[in-house]
Amino acid sequence: MISRSQRVIFWCLVWFCIVILSVPTIIVVGASLTGGNIITFPPDGFSLKWYRQIALARDLQQAFSRSIIVSLICLAVSLPVGTLAGIALTRFRLRFANAIQIYLLLPFTIPLIGSGIGMMLVFGSWHILGNIWPVGVALAVINLPFIIWSVSSSAAALDSDLELAAASCGAGRFETFLHVTLPGVMPGVITGGLLMFVLAMTEFLVSLLLTDARTVTLPVQIYNNIRSIITPDLAAVSSVFVLIALLAVWLLDRLVGLEIFLKSK
Amino acid sequence: MTNGSPSERAISPGKSGQSTAVRVRDVTMDFGNGALAVSNASFELETGKFLTILGPSGSGKTTLLRMIAGFETPTSGEITVNGKPVDSAPPHRRSIGMVFQKLALFPHMTAAENIAFPLKMRRFNPKTIPRRVDEFLDLVKLGGYGNRRINELSGGQQQRVAIARALVFKPELLLLDEPLAALDVKLREEMQLEFRRIQHELGVTTINVTHDQREALVVSDDIIVMDGGRIQQHAKPVDLYRAPDNAFVAGFLGVASFINGHAVPGGLTSGENFLSGTHAGNFADGTAVRGAVRAEQIRIAAESGQLAACDTRLTGTVRDTIFEGERQLYVVATDELPGITFRVYHHDPESFGLFEIGTRVMIGWNARDMKIFEFRAS
Repeated sequence: MISRSQRVIFWCLVWFCIVILSVPTIIVVGASLTGGNIITFPPDGFSLKWYRQIALARDLQQAFSRSIIVSLICLAVSLPVGTLAGIALTRFRLRFANAIQIYLLLPFTIPLIGSGIGMMLVFGSWHILGNIWPVGVALAVINLPFIIWSVSSSAAALDSDLELAAASCGAGRFETFLHVTLPGVMPGVITGGLLMFVLAMTEFLVSLLLTDARTVTLPVQIYNNIRSIITPDLAAVSSVFVLIALLAVWLLDRLVGLEIFLKSK
Repeated sequence: MTNGSPSERAISPGKSGQSTAVRVRDVTMDFGNGALAVSNASFELETGKFLTILGPSGSGKTTLLRMIAGFETPTSGEITVNGKPVDSAPPHRRSIGMVFQKLALFPHMTAAENIAFPLKMRRFNPKTIPRRVDEFLDLVKLGGYGNRRINELSGGQQQRVAIARALVFKPELLLLDEPLAALDVKLREEMQLEFRRIQHELGVTTINVTHDQREALVVSDDIIVMDGGRIQQHAKPVDLYRAPDNAFVAGFLGVASFINGHAVPGGLTSGENFLSGTHAGNFADGTAVRGAVRAEQIRIAAESGQLAACDTRLTGTVRDTIFEGERQLYVVATDELPGITFRVYHHDPESFGLFEIGTRVMIGWNARDMKIFEFRAS
């Protein structure tokens, strides 16, 4: 039995968390709707003029489309790599499986500033800095553990005899992968993919080190703007970010169901 | 096949009902962890027969099945299916259907798609596939359920899909890896009869693995009992039950009570007591032996006069009594053989509940009811 005082404490904690987690979002969205010229909360009147403004701002628009491109490149790299690695680590009896797993999860243990500077040096010596695609590749590398986790938790949930069953049905190794293993881990692939996309859209630190004036992505652009003058249009941009994230979560729920996502390691 | 030798052709399927479908010769499996998983197993199985490999967990039965399926390679020995070594082709080129312990149905496909999968992979004419799938859905009594997803089907229905998927491409051999273990008793008994019906209808050679003695007795033409990686006995169900080769088999099938002692003509002695029985083999007097009497072969009565027909009679006390519906089980401790409790079935519904706990009773049997085996420490 749960006593009255326990219930009171429980709900206090729940509401505390809900408020703490949502206050920044509420403030940003609120501030973006202000009618005045300085960023305040509560907003000074109601207007969508800052949204009109960012829709017309060329630098923000370009940065936004660069961010989309970076995220797509990140997806193009991490989807095949993360999916294959996630499947291999759970479904096959690999030699050195543990060592490989640690190696693939290594990006997690290195501070972003460290890996960012490292990649800046390497990309610089290869003379590829100043392009957009290396940013996408870099974001794929630092966030790879997320998709590997997501895929391998999906793969671990599959029946261990599934591949043998496919073989006894007459499917060769490639057919087994295509028709049985891959569809089986698809929830994990979709979850991991959306996660990678959102993470790449919002990544700041490594992007800051790898971009310059020609290749600046949206989070870096926002940072640049803050450094000069803080206007409500930044709140509007941030609100667009929140919207994109919500969209991703909604998509996730429609495609695989949120409970699968929440259950993944 | 143009280069098949005459001997290969003679045992090709369909030519006669008496040919050998599976031949296992001196197969040993050593996983390198001390004990042999399978030790020197040899047997043959005729085309069209239903064989069950029966044994407790860890007896090596599943390892043996996986070697026949070609998923594991024996350390030594040879397995042939229809005359061809099982590892002469990769797993997906073999004509072996398998139903797995956890079924291993493809969760993202419907029932019909699961059943169509082997046909697609084995390049059947695409035009004939839908009709064949319907035919097999009907065979397993799932007509109309083809469009259901796997997770929308009950345990028994999933079971049926797995059977249909294993059989739809008309394999030469069907392997069942304890697929009924997870079902409740009622459903399990229903599916046992289903296995039997479908196997008879299609005439496919089948090897089933189980630890359920009842299932083995119900479905099989032949039973192999395994323990400790060794084949203990290979016989027809009736012979296995009636004439077990050793004490392990006697104890594994049915309910039996055991008495250790020394062989004497016409029975055994345990302490001061002579107990009549039948020797399974030729023992010298004084050999250490173990006698086994089945619960249904012991008679129980209130007084000695009612057991006049028995040549062994013991007096004892009822220690426990369990009503099992179709019979009453008595647990009896005897004065003559302290330390041994006899389990006795009583099948007459009119006198169920006749003896209560603590009642003094007589139990008895005849020489033919107790089988006496050489004692093997295990």
